[in-house]
Amino acid sequence: MRRFSWIVTFLAVLVFIFGSVISSTAGEIKVGLMGPMTGAWASEGQEMKQVLELLVEETNNQGGVNGQRIKLIVEDDGSDPRTAALAAQRLVTQGIVGVIGTYGSSVTEATQNIYDEAKVIQIANGSTAIRLTEKGLKYFFRTCPRDDEQARVAVKAIKNLGFHTIAILHDNTTYAKGLAEEAKRLLEKDDTVKIVFFDALTPGEQDYTAILTKLKGANPDAVFFTGYYPEAGLLLRQKKEMGWDVPFIGGDATNNPDLTKIAGADAAAGFYFVSAPLPKDLPGEEAKKFLEKFAKKYGNPPNSIYSVLAGDGFRVLVKAIEVTKSTDPDVLADYLHNKLKDFPGLTGKISFNEKGDRVGEVYRVYRVNEKGEFILLP
Amino acid sequence: MLESDAASEAEAALFLRCYGRGLMAEFLQQFVNGLAVGGIYALIALGYTMVYGVLKLINFAHGDLFTIGAYLGLTLLTSFGLADRVGPGVAVLLLVVMVMGFVAVIGIILERVAYRPLRNSPRLSAVVSALGASIFFQNAVMLIYGARFRVYPQNLLPKISLNLLGIYIPLVKILVLVVCVIMMVGLYLFIQRTTIGTAIRAAAIDQEAARLVGINVDGVITLVFIIGPALGGLAGLMVGILYGQIKFTMGWIYGLKAFTAAILGGIGNIPGAMLGGLILGVVEALGSAYISIAWKDAIAFCVLILILVVKPTGLLGERVAEKV
Repeated sequence: MRRFSWIVTFLAVLVFIFGSVISSTAGEIKVGLMGPMTGAWASEGQEMKQVLELLVEETNNQGGVNGQRIKLIVEDDGSDPRTAALAAQRLVTQGIVGVIGTYGSSVTEATQNIYDEAKVIQIANGSTAIRLTEKGLKYFFRTCPRDDEQARVAVKAIKNLGFHTIAILHDNTTYAKGLAEEAKRLLEKDDTVKIVFFDALTPGEQDYTAILTKLKGANPDAVFFTGYYPEAGLLLRQKKEMGWDVPFIGGDATNNPDLTKIAGADAAAGFYFVSAPLPKDLPGEEAKKFLEKFAKKYGNPPNSIYSVLAGDGFRVLVKAIEVTKSTDPDVLADYLHNKLKDFPGLTGKISFNEKGDRVGEVYRVYRVNEKGEFILLP
Repeated sequence: MLESDAASEAEAALFLRCYGRGLMAEFLQQFVNGLAVGGIYALIALGYTMVYGVLKLINFAHGDLFTIGAYLGLTLLTSFGLADRVGPGVAVLLLVVMVMGFVAVIGIILERVAYRPLRNSPRLSAVVSALGASIFFQNAVMLIYGARFRVYPQNLLPKISLNLLGIYIPLVKILVLVVCVIMMVGLYLFIQRTTIGTAIRAAAIDQEAARLVGINVDGVITLVFIIGPALGGLAGLMVGILYGQIKFTMGWIYGLKAFTAAILGGIGNIPGAMLGGLILGVVEALGSAYISIAWKDAIAFCVLILILVVKPTGLLGERVAEKV
């Protein structure tokens, strides 16, 4: 009985190996997409899928890569680390060369080791937590910037706008707290800006007047809020009702059109936030052509920059396969780390450093105008 | 005229600051902030305390009736364009009446479906049924309105703030506080001065004895499930008008705080719920002002624990002899 099960296992492994060899010689390159198709971030994941399907179709219509067609395999990570680990395991058994995704940092983190052990190139598109690239994983890359980069840009903006005293407010989530502490560290190195307030609010409440009154007592030139848009919207609205006209600055989690709806255009006006550029503000011809095609196929331009960043992940992977004429993960990783320089991506020039982080400044500063529109500052 | 007003106001503010009374202004501002939140807690707490008083049941679905009130107000305002048809002042009055009426109907149905069949079952069954009703309502709201934040129209009431020597009080907040106080005083008088109120109090003390003297206890329970949900729904509407942003999960945190307020004041006791709500709101505001914002909830619950250690029945609660 025992021997029998050994034989079965052996046969299964054999079939699997032959199966993957056959499929890779059949002129098809498999690329995975792991994204949040359901759950809290479903709108992000569904747009990531739209972007990748468009790009795959385009590549295949132009004859594929090195004469081989690309096949996209989509798995749902459910916006949840546990679901994502299962999705990653399903993907690595299907003989993919690389995987694009995913959005949330904690979700990506749950899958990093699975892909690393299977030697699959992973290019994340929205996971900005610093520690993801600090583990020395050879096959992990990301097209989005890191939170310390965001803090740097925010601090630079604070100085450029001429604020001398600043209050920092976060909401105790991993992302917001990390960003707030990084900004605090950078500001403390510097004598020109003084931090007069540093505390956290409880997200999900509705009355923030007590916090605002306390903030007002500290009398800062500006307030840097690193949390998410629902709280930012309420803070702006209640600040306006208090008759306090201090400027607010937000992190990229405040980049959502609902911010204006919650605060009202008059209270949101004058709010600054740091974010990767919105799709509508992407520079360059590549981006313009892509946005047109996207709008033609789906009826509206992409809403989220992170879906476009997923598209960039796919494009650098295809580029690497094309140039190296290989699907060997070590060759591809080496190419992406060392040889890819200033690739014309949809979101600007792309190069990776030895950690797999994207090199160069991606973050921009936005200001909300009187109509509640998000305007890119030069 | 306006300029000189502003100038004299600035002077007055300066004067106050010079004499170290800016701190006083901040304290008063925080006190007012706390009162507004506390008024809403109190309004919701009334529903918990009335149901507990008569049925000895914690109605966990009460927080979700509050959410339904908020969403119903939104529907009336946006889908029916109530404000455009009758003008903002009348619209708010109509909203109050319609939301209270509709949520009261849901309250009656809730009692019939989820609680009445379990009237003579062990108390735990009714609590489980209440939790089930809560999950049902929350998900129903999510399926109907979606999981994202919804926003009340901005221009419903004029955005005016009163400025009393450096203390800013938005007009909307005063309105909400006034409505809360009217409702609470009205309810108190109704319970204390009318025959029906006396019947409710009698049923709360002893249902069997109340039945013996000819009180329709089922009628009393239905009435409690009209008044409580109506006030909860009204609180939801107030939150919508006051803060503008509503979500299907909002009933949970407000429900929890209001429940805390009801226990703080002594559960089953109507003036206690009002007092508990106001105290909780003020403690939260002052705690976050002078200790730490992040510890706001911890401070509120510490106060609850302290009060219960010193006085286990709550502030105004009385020890009721165990029924035989």
